[in-house]
This record gives sequence, C-alpha cells and structure tokens, in this order.
Amino acid sequence: MHLYKTVFILMPVSVYMSMIYTSPANMLGESSRILYFHVPIAWVSVFAFLTAGAASFIYLFSNKKNMINHIAAYNSAYLGIIFTILTLISGSIWSKISWGSYWNWDPRQTSMLVLLMIYAAYFALNASLEEKDGKEKISCSYLIFGAVSMPFFVFIIPRIYPSLHPDPVINAEYKINLEADMKATLILSTASFTILYLYILNLMNRLKKIEVHMEELD
Amino acid sequence: MNSIVRCLKKDLLMEFRSKTAFSISFTFSAITTLAISLITSQIKLDENIHSILLWIIIFFSAMNGLSHIFTREEEEGTSLFLMLNHKPESVYLSKLIFNLIYFIILSSIICTMYLFFLQISPSNIHFFIISVFSGSTAIVSITTILGAMVSKAGGKGSLLTAVTFPLLLPVLWTSIKMTESSFKTDVAPYLGNAVFLLAFSGLVICLSYLLFRFIWMEV
Repeated sequence: MHLYKTVFILMPVSVYMSMIYTSPANMLGESSRILYFHVPIAWVSVFAFLTAGAASFIYLFSNKKNMINHIAAYNSAYLGIIFTILTLISGSIWSKISWGSYWNWDPRQTSMLVLLMIYAAYFALNASLEEKDGKEKISCSYLIFGAVSMPFFVFIIPRIYPSLHPDPVINAEYKINLEADMKATLILSTASFTILYLYILNLMNRLKKIEVHMEELD
Repeated sequence: MNSIVRCLKKDLLMEFRSKTAFSISFTFSAITTLAISLITSQIKLDENIHSILLWIIIFFSAMNGLSHIFTREEEEGTSLFLMLNHKPESVYLSKLIFNLIYFIILSSIICTMYLFFLQISPSNIHFFIISVFSGSTAIVSITTILGAMVSKAGGKGSLLTAVTFPLLLPVLWTSIKMTESSFKTDVAPYLGNAVFLLAFSGLVICLSYLLFRFIWMEV
C-alpha cells in the first residue's frame, strides 16, 4: 500500500527531471522531452495487457473462481485502453514534429493501434455477453488470447519491418543508447507511470469490491 | 478419439444436408471475385494489390462461414446435448477439423476463381499454395475459438469480425507478403513466414484446447 503512495513523490520528481534537469537531445531539441512520457505510457499500456492476461489466467485456472481476479483483469484492460489512447496521441504529436505528419503507418504506430483494437474488441465482446452465458469466463479467455498474440505486434513485427522509429530503447544488445541523465530520467519516469497504473488499478479494484458487497447486502 | 469422429461425422452430415454455410460463403466469395474482376477489368493491378484483394476475400469468407458451426448448435439448442455427451476437448477438436476441411476447400475455390477471372498466374505456384494453406490454417485456428465465444453472445451481427480482425492482423499481414512474393518471383524468400504462420496456428490451437471448456461449459 505504501509502495503505491510513492507515486506522489516519484511523479513530481520525474516531471521535474523530464522538463528541467535533463538536457534536450542533440538533433531533436526540446521536443525530445516527450520521450519521458511517451515511452513510459507505451510500456504501461503493454504491461496493463499482460496484467489483464495474467489475472484472467489465474481466474480461469484457480479452483476457487475468485471474482477479484476477473475484476482486476477488467480494470487492467480499462486502464490499458486509456494508456494506449494516450500513447497514440503523444506518439502522433511527436510524429508531426519529427516526421512531418501525425500518422505514417509506421509498424510501431500500427502495432499500438492494433493493441487499441484488441482492447476495444474485448469490451465489445464483454458488453455483448450476459451473466448466464458465462460472461466472465469467455471475456477472460479473450484477454488471454490477446495477451498471447500481443508480443507478435509489439515486439516482433516492428523489428521485422522497416520503421521510422529510432533504435528501440531496449535493443538487440539489451542496452539503452541514451546519455546518462536521459537514461536516469527515462527509468524514473517509467517507474513512476508503472506505480501510477498499479495505484489506480488498486483503487478501482477496491471500489468494485465495495460495489459488489453493497449489491450483496441489497 | 471415437467421440471426435462421431462429432465430426455429425457436423459433416448436417452440412452435407443443409449446405447452408458452404452455399453462403461460396456465393459471397464468387460475387466478390466477380465484382472485383468486373471493376478492375480495364486496369492492370500490381501484385501487391492482387495479394491484398485475394486475402480480403478470404478473410470475409471466413467471417461468413466459420462461426456457423457453433452458432448452429446454439440456435438449434443442440449444444446442451453435446455438453452432456462429449468432452469439451472432443467437441473443440471435431469443430476445428471440420472448419479446417471446410475452409481449405473454400479457399482453394476462391483462389482458383480469383486466378481465373483476374487472369494472373503465380510465378511460384508451390509457394502460392503454401502461402494460402498456411494463412488459411492460421485463420481457421483463431476464428474457430472466437466463433465459439461469439456464438455464446448469440452470434450478434458483425461481432465476430470486430473480435477477430485485430488478432488476425499479423496472419493477414504475413500471408499478404507471402502471396505477393509468390506472384512476383519464382524463388521463395518468405518461406520462414509459412513456418511462423504454422507455429502461430499451433500455439493458438494449444491455447484453445486448454481454454475451450471455459467457453463451452455453462457451469
């Protein structure tokens, strides 16, 4: 619980480091500061997907079907879709500055769009099902399929097809090719956004649990 | 094994009697191919456009016909009978085999019609066949399990297309590249992609086998 609250310290520090402490990149100038928001948000949208898949897996394969795992999967997907939209918006702004247009059908841009479509399809399926159809089990199964196919979009396809994006942050040599101050800011910012996601997810799960208890009392 | 054979035999007999799914999919693909042929008769299309058009026809034919196998069970109320008499895994494997047979036949017809009406011939026919076979197998493996999910939602309209399309994108992407290269050159530079598609299908089938009981059983 205390870990989540570190976000109140980490987030202002990472904003300060992104905007003031770190020097701008040589070629890109001040616009390079978007890196410290765009990359962590993109990471969280992928992480949210994996969390949703893992929670769904635990829900389906545990003997006692604990509703909290299904709730966590749903909420994680809900947060994931918000972070994916933010990734696409921040990426489009950066794309306009760097490449001259908001959308280029770059493999990485496309892979995030596909991720958004998978999330949207999950919510469409979830909304179409009723409790008597086994809504929880079917929507959890879909999330597992999404989580399994996601690496093909996010990690494999952008590395196969030529991309306008610079060398991946985590590349073939498993090194971050950035200046020391930029690297520190990026790592801190990524940690801040991850904890922010976990904090909101925890709040949403608790809220849903209270709602379920209230319904049971009624 | 017996259970799978009995389920498969039932599905084949029912399809042979009614011919619903096959008629609809075949008519759809024939109309689409003829429409494209008619519209583009005066234009010379590039190989990549041919490849994209061919896979669009195959994709929408799959959307038309592959979920039918589960929707029919729900509509006719026979799913409960299957639940009581057969293991979920047997039901899944029989439906998968049925869809594989059905879709390989359908995509062979679509490709023949497409090549005939649009008057093109692949430079490497073997690679063309491999690309269609591996792409169709991947489409079937995903659409079968998602068809089962959508049938529980009452097979609502275009829900299957909405749910399937994002997951099928890497398959379509890879298949289009492979088919395009089979039109262009007589060597097979994307042979690794066929392995990728078959491996992807294998992964999806294994996962579907594990998850099917959660989708199929109501308790």
